[in-house]
Amino acid sequence: MSSLLEMREKVRKFYSKYEVYLTPLFKFILALISLLCINANLGYMERLSGSIIIVLVVALMCSFLPRNFIALLSAAFVSGHLYAVSLECGIVAIGIFLLMFVLYFRFSPKDTLIVVLLPICFLLRIPYVIPIVAGLLCAPVSVVSVSCGTIAYYLIRYVHENEATISNLEAEEGVARFRYVIDGILGNKEMLVMIIAFAAIVITVYFIRRLSVDHSWTIGMVVGAVLGVVILLMGDLVYNTQMSIAGLILGMVVSLLIAKIIQFFAFNVDYSRTEYVQFEDDEYYYYVKAVPKNSVAQAQKRVKKITSVL
Amino acid sequence: MLSQERIQLMTKMASYEEHEGKKYMAIGSYFRSDYIGLQIIKSIICATLAYLVLFGMYLFYEFENFMQDIYKMDLLEFGKSVLFYYFIFVLIYGVISYVVYSYRYHKAKKSLKRYYHHLKQLAAMYDLETRK
Repeated sequence: MSSLLEMREKVRKFYSKYEVYLTPLFKFILALISLLCINANLGYMERLSGSIIIVLVVALMCSFLPRNFIALLSAAFVSGHLYAVSLECGIVAIGIFLLMFVLYFRFSPKDTLIVVLLPICFLLRIPYVIPIVAGLLCAPVSVVSVSCGTIAYYLIRYVHENEATISNLEAEEGVARFRYVIDGILGNKEMLVMIIAFAAIVITVYFIRRLSVDHSWTIGMVVGAVLGVVILLMGDLVYNTQMSIAGLILGMVVSLLIAKIIQFFAFNVDYSRTEYVQFEDDEYYYYVKAVPKNSVAQAQKRVKKITSVL
Repeated sequence: MLSQERIQLMTKMASYEEHEGKKYMAIGSYFRSDYIGLQIIKSIICATLAYLVLFGMYLFYEFENFMQDIYKMDLLEFGKSVLFYYFIFVLIYGVISYVVYSYRYHKAKKSLKRYYHHLKQLAAMYDLETRK
């Protein structure tokens, strides 16, 4: 354990030392992964997916621009690809993204990261990690961002799966195409079940980790994960969403492991040394539970100079 | 002369000014009513834009039915209901914005109060030093 803690300190020190270079690097990597995933799954517009140079240039731009631009440019890429499928798909995508940005991300621009990460995690089959981590690190209102990310993913998936049908509809049937896309997205029961499950996970994890019980973070993430599995299975029963149970449980276990690693960096305390103190002032009685953080002093290297006088 | 206590306080304040203080100082430079009013105006513009997007999508979705019934329907009544829903939408969004930005202003003021307290402490330290 102490070697792990030492490693954590090293990672922290390394990050704070090279933060100026590491932050743009991480932004670049995230933008690159996001754009490559979009191109791999949609890739209908030749100009955007034809050469890697465009993706690299846009990702490089993202590394210097504020973090929100990753979400903004990813949304632009998705809209561009959907526009290449049909004008109506493009309109739906732009409309949905515009509503997200104008109505919600005006309040909490930091949450755009969730919308970028969630579709990527969906592709990696571990989407559950995002609501668990959002419950651990953010406020309950991040339910909205998680829902927006889920909608963005299902929009991409719907067009990816139905591209042939949409393209085959006559060009004059613009309204029919539009209706087809909107009905497909709004009538997607799997998306609805996912949004409900994710909202339940975020809220459960948030409220349990705020409780004053030992190991509240771990209890919160486990209870949230179990609740998520139960809701998704119930949704599968009710709506017949064709969900793979083994994939769901495996995805949830991997998500829990990732959440545990994040917990190690964000909230690492030693419950065995918990102290309860009680005192009062003129206005209040205070019942304080103080849990010390786990930390180790890094082994310092000493260079001993031996000089000999001849 | 250098004072360790003073330098510590100044470092703390400089770090605050560089990070969270930047955001709070921008908010704190407004009067409460001006800040919340400005944000609500922005919210109304955003809500109007969002409503236009939603309405446009609805019209396109119902385009065929709409074109069939356009001579039969009471356009004035339709316009009234569109406006009614617009006001409800803007009102709800405006109320949410009011709550969010009131809370943010309160938080910023509380944080700045601590900063001004440190500023006073610093002034007192300088005062003490010059008297010596």
